[in-house]
Amino acid sequence: MMDVYANAASIIPIDRYYEYDLYDLVIESFKNLEQQYDTSSRGIDLIIVANAYSQKLNSNSLIGPKIAKKLGKTDIPSFRVENGDASGGTALLMGYSAIKSGLAKSVMIIGVEKQTDYPSKYFNEVLSTCLDEQMYYNGVTPHSIAAIMMKKYMSKYNVPREYFANWAIKMHQNAVENPFAYLRFTVDLNTILSSQIVSDPIRLFDIGARADGASIVILSSEKTSESIKINKIESTQSRLDFSPSLPSIKTLRSKIEIKDVNRTLFEIHDSYSVIAAIMLEELGITEPGKSLYNLDSLNVNLSGGLKARGYPGGASAVYQLSEVYMQLLGTFKGKKITDAERSIIISSDDLGLVSYGIELTR
Amino acid sequence: MKIAPPQVWRNKKFMYKLIASKCRKCGNIDFPYSPYCTKCGNSDVEKTELSGKGKLVTFTVSYQSREGFEKSLPSIIGLIRLDEGAEIIAPIVDTEIDKLKENARVEATLRRVYTDSYNGLIQYGIKFRVVEE
Repeated sequence: MMDVYANAASIIPIDRYYEYDLYDLVIESFKNLEQQYDTSSRGIDLIIVANAYSQKLNSNSLIGPKIAKKLGKTDIPSFRVENGDASGGTALLMGYSAIKSGLAKSVMIIGVEKQTDYPSKYFNEVLSTCLDEQMYYNGVTPHSIAAIMMKKYMSKYNVPREYFANWAIKMHQNAVENPFAYLRFTVDLNTILSSQIVSDPIRLFDIGARADGASIVILSSEKTSESIKINKIESTQSRLDFSPSLPSIKTLRSKIEIKDVNRTLFEIHDSYSVIAAIMLEELGITEPGKSLYNLDSLNVNLSGGLKARGYPGGASAVYQLSEVYMQLLGTFKGKKITDAERSIIISSDDLGLVSYGIELTR
Repeated sequence: MKIAPPQVWRNKKFMYKLIASKCRKCGNIDFPYSPYCTKCGNSDVEKTELSGKGKLVTFTVSYQSREGFEKSLPSIIGLIRLDEGAEIIAPIVDTEIDKLKENARVEATLRRVYTDSYNGLIQYGIKFRVVEE
């Protein structure tokens, strides 16, 4: 079996790009990539595009080949994977597997999402297609599912509403230092508690800030001086559990090794503050019911997370991997972790039903 | 959301009725009906119609709409544990938000969910209302 390395990574700032369409976002990210990695001379065997909502939000299908064509790589096999907001994790698993098995030597993983063309009520309609049919047809949104999980969490652990504000405060602190982050400002408790109620008790600052973005990672079997090794990618899935729990994350815990927490960089899928709390606890990183009281002692989401770096939908895991790649090489431009040799990325869909655990070492 | 009559017809088992499956191996109840148990994967399941009576475990009041559901705001979305043991997420109607309490007894009721004004079609579905003990 071949070893798999990340050999280059590119991101563009997450933002509302009114002047750019889906393809323009990818082209901007590709230009950044070309400054560090010449794809023409070094060769790409396969292009995998991670994207969740292009058919609904951008009226575009078959975007894998279309993107390849716009990048001047018409003859390279290309396809899109869709697994909701976990699409990035799925794409990385596909690329990793192709190299591991010897089917490809070099794979370009492109994560792209263009989410800001429509008002929130239409976006909520699209996002809700991720729910089971019975909920979708009854007008339920993922925000309400997360709100019910949050109420159950508050009741189970007897924590106040203020407990969840710790996540937003920390993520915004981290994002201030990240030039690629969407929301580069600090927030205080009062700002969070007086923000718009989306689905009680969830307020605006409990939700990942969705916007547009594109990120590219080159996976390869070739080890270079710029390589970060991908040790493994594990995949799990589960049903909703209102106990509250994230069984897909609990299962991941038995498949990836959580050790040396102080010297490990964690990038988790914090679609909601309550999801972030449960993820940290299901992974065994923190004590149940107390995770958001202990954020200062953890190297988690130094990018600012989905909450403040921004939430690029199905491209999220590609952003996570790009940022971790830069962190482990020491080239990340935001808040840095010192002397870290290892990172764990958790990629999920909005409600943590499908999860990927990605383990990397320098 | 556009309404497609064939979809409405196919979805009648969960939009007009509470048709579930009960696993003969582990006893798990799946709603909507699933030919394979979502807990243990067993295919030996029996079709059963749930009573529609249960307890409101908890609820949220949603202020952010989806296209076509604007008139229902603010909407109450409940987690209901039916007497048979299944949990279901559904809208709660006919109640004042301030008076709604967790653990209230609830029952299913058929209500209008969505109107497709372009095609003149109406989607009905099962919501829940509070009942006196």
